[in-house]
Amino acid sequence: MTAVALLLGMHAPSAPSQTGRATQRNPSALASQSQDKQVGLIDVTQNDLLQKPPAGDWLSYNGDYTGARSTSIAQITPNNVTHLAAQWVFHAPAVSLLEVTPVVVAGIMFVTSANDAYALDAKTGNVLWHHARALTQGLVDDAGQHHNRGVAVLGTHLYMETDNAHLLCLDARSGSLIWDVAYATGNRNYGATSAPLIVKNEVLVGTSGGDDGVRGFLAAFDAATGVEKWRFWTIPAPGEKGSESWPSDTYLHGGGTTWMPGTYDPKLNTLYWGTGNPSPDYDGSVRPGDDLYTSCLLALDPDTGTLKWYFQFSPHDLYDYDAVQTPVLVDARFKGRFRKLIVTANRNGFVYILDRTNGKFLFARQFAQTLNWAKGIDNTGRPISNGLVPDEKGVQVCPAAGGATNWYAPSYNPVTHMFYFRSFDACALFKSTTEAFEEGRTYYSTGTRGEGNGKGYINAFDLRTLDFAWRNLQIGPHKGWGGIMSTVTGLVAYGDDAQNFVILDGRTGIALWHFNVGQLIHASPMAYAINGKEYFAVAAGSDVFSFSLP
Amino acid sequence: MRLREMRGYLCVCAICVVVSGSPSALAQTPSGILGARRYLQFCAACHGSDGRGGNKAASLVTSDSVRTRSDEDLFRIIHDGTAEGMPAFAQIGEDNIRVLVHFLRILQNGTAPEKPPQRVAIAGDPDAGSALFFGKAQCASCHRMQGKGRYIASDLTAYGRIHNVDAIVRAIVDPHAQSTPSVRVVTVTTKKGQTLTGVLKNEDNFSVDLQTQDGRYFLLDRSQLARVSDSGRSLMPRDYAQVLSPRELDDIAEFLRLAASKTALMNSEQ
Repeated sequence: MTAVALLLGMHAPSAPSQTGRATQRNPSALASQSQDKQVGLIDVTQNDLLQKPPAGDWLSYNGDYTGARSTSIAQITPNNVTHLAAQWVFHAPAVSLLEVTPVVVAGIMFVTSANDAYALDAKTGNVLWHHARALTQGLVDDAGQHHNRGVAVLGTHLYMETDNAHLLCLDARSGSLIWDVAYATGNRNYGATSAPLIVKNEVLVGTSGGDDGVRGFLAAFDAATGVEKWRFWTIPAPGEKGSESWPSDTYLHGGGTTWMPGTYDPKLNTLYWGTGNPSPDYDGSVRPGDDLYTSCLLALDPDTGTLKWYFQFSPHDLYDYDAVQTPVLVDARFKGRFRKLIVTANRNGFVYILDRTNGKFLFARQFAQTLNWAKGIDNTGRPISNGLVPDEKGVQVCPAAGGATNWYAPSYNPVTHMFYFRSFDACALFKSTTEAFEEGRTYYSTGTRGEGNGKGYINAFDLRTLDFAWRNLQIGPHKGWGGIMSTVTGLVAYGDDAQNFVILDGRTGIALWHFNVGQLIHASPMAYAINGKEYFAVAAGSDVFSFSLP
Repeated sequence: MRLREMRGYLCVCAICVVVSGSPSALAQTPSGILGARRYLQFCAACHGSDGRGGNKAASLVTSDSVRTRSDEDLFRIIHDGTAEGMPAFAQIGEDNIRVLVHFLRILQNGTAPEKPPQRVAIAGDPDAGSALFFGKAQCASCHRMQGKGRYIASDLTAYGRIHNVDAIVRAIVDPHAQSTPSVRVVTVTTKKGQTLTGVLKNEDNFSVDLQTQDGRYFLLDRSQLARVSDSGRSLMPRDYAQVLSPRELDDIAEFLRLAASKTALMNSEQ
């Protein structure tokens, strides 16, 4: 049971009186003992956000700034995980397929469902407050699905995006709105589906709409006031470096959106943020050249938004190969030398290792078991393209447009030294005809077919051997979109291609426990602890499930 | 009395109940009476004859997520229904829906003064009102405005959007004329003899979740509690009419009105 504070002095005013008024209006009598990090006391400091790996709290979408999603809570182990049991289920009415990763602060869980936010008692799943906001009508594509990946917290404030790209600041203790900033205007096709990231005293947000002809950007807002501090446009304006790819006003519709949270290295003071594919997706004739900075990893100065360096995974992409997958920060030995790395599995079918101090390409390995768009990656990190160009008749390309991997979270575990990620092997027929941009319509120009018959895998890539330790084919009726997390005790947790929440032995890939949640897991799990008791939580369908040992 | 007559009698009584629950001048107008009739016809079965919710549906009068919606939003909700299970009422026609929206606002705004307001219509000073809110009047000891204040009473950030100055002043000087408070303040005593008072956020057979005045949550197992008691009354002081001058009351009301109408919405491109 959580600690109960001692009540000091009088309370509960009765009949009004002159002498009683001071008590009535000055309820310091209701003050409780203040203790460090007590359950129920929401106050997240910048220092808290620097802790890695996550321990009892999970303070952001990816848990900590490295994006490794590897918890240090050690209660649940391969020896006792078979006793794991469901503790509670929370049902969110606003959408049918949640994409949120819950955030937990001091025993209180925050989840989002479309434009709504909820605070839950993380022990029981009961609702403490609910901030409701209507769905926005008339949005296109992903924003029109009203996905929302969750919240960020700083101090007693909670931050979330809405489907129409507003950044909300709520009081985390009550759900009341403090301020509301419309941060993506000028194009009806902007939306937002992500979770903000807090760095220092800034809130960082991006947008969706990369397949719909918007101009991508990453923006930073003052966490206290909501005033914009800087904005980095991912598509250069005329005259800027890379603008040769964007003749006339095509830069206004170039895509390159920043629709997933990035990572941050506080010692290098560098933000790492992935950008999406260029727009229009399949018609490269209107955007010659490499199409900077689409399908890139950007390294930015968080104080100014200045670009330090970039790495482009798929120059002049024609297959919807976003690069927004988590750039996981790993400090490890690479070829005998201890280095600061980024490890990331890209939609284009290659897993990459970069030096995160300068963006130098170190390594790439094909993980898509079927791949025909490139011969390989050269020693600068640039793909050797096979020149497959979508046309009116259609061209068969592998991986398919959904990519060999996608936004579902990967995890790096420093104990097993393995990088865990989900992959999907499929090909599709890519067709293209040049079309004009139009607000209110997508801007794929034109589409793909035939992705359905693919194979899903959960992969363990060993950083010591630079090879796969195991690759588990997923069996199930659905294409899986469940992300992954891991633990210091060597467990890997994820949602599979059926309706199971599964826990594996991370070294061997052998399943140790699973639970049928009765709906699709379209989100990435997390872990938290309350008074030493460890829980796993994952969003599945319209619900959030929490599990712990009895 | 025959059944048909009884039904008619009950309908008239119910209209009187609804209308008398909010005996404002507005409710007595033809559109108010028509709104009451339509409300009983289409809404009361789920939302209660007084609009404060029933087994099946939310309170339209006290729920913030209803009160803070625009008239256009309310129109659309009545017209299209909701994902949570409210049926669509498009078939009753747009005129009737407009009448219902108008009537909802009557229900939400509460009572009207029996006498015309005594004050001259000079706007209060919102800056003075803010100083009072956070100072002498100690409103912030219980309430919150835009994230500042305490947690033992409701958040007033949007209150001024749908309450005029007179209604706000009335709510301050005669708070208990409003019906049940929207927050429940409870006191729990643990089996070890410690006590705690706060706003009840959630309770069931197994747990009691409280929020104390400073915003902290206490998430408690009921099995550890010896007693849970509910004062059943609002903590709002009843003597503001004596403590604050009419000018000060106007200032506070103007502060609430301005804070709500000031757009918290910032367009970052401007």
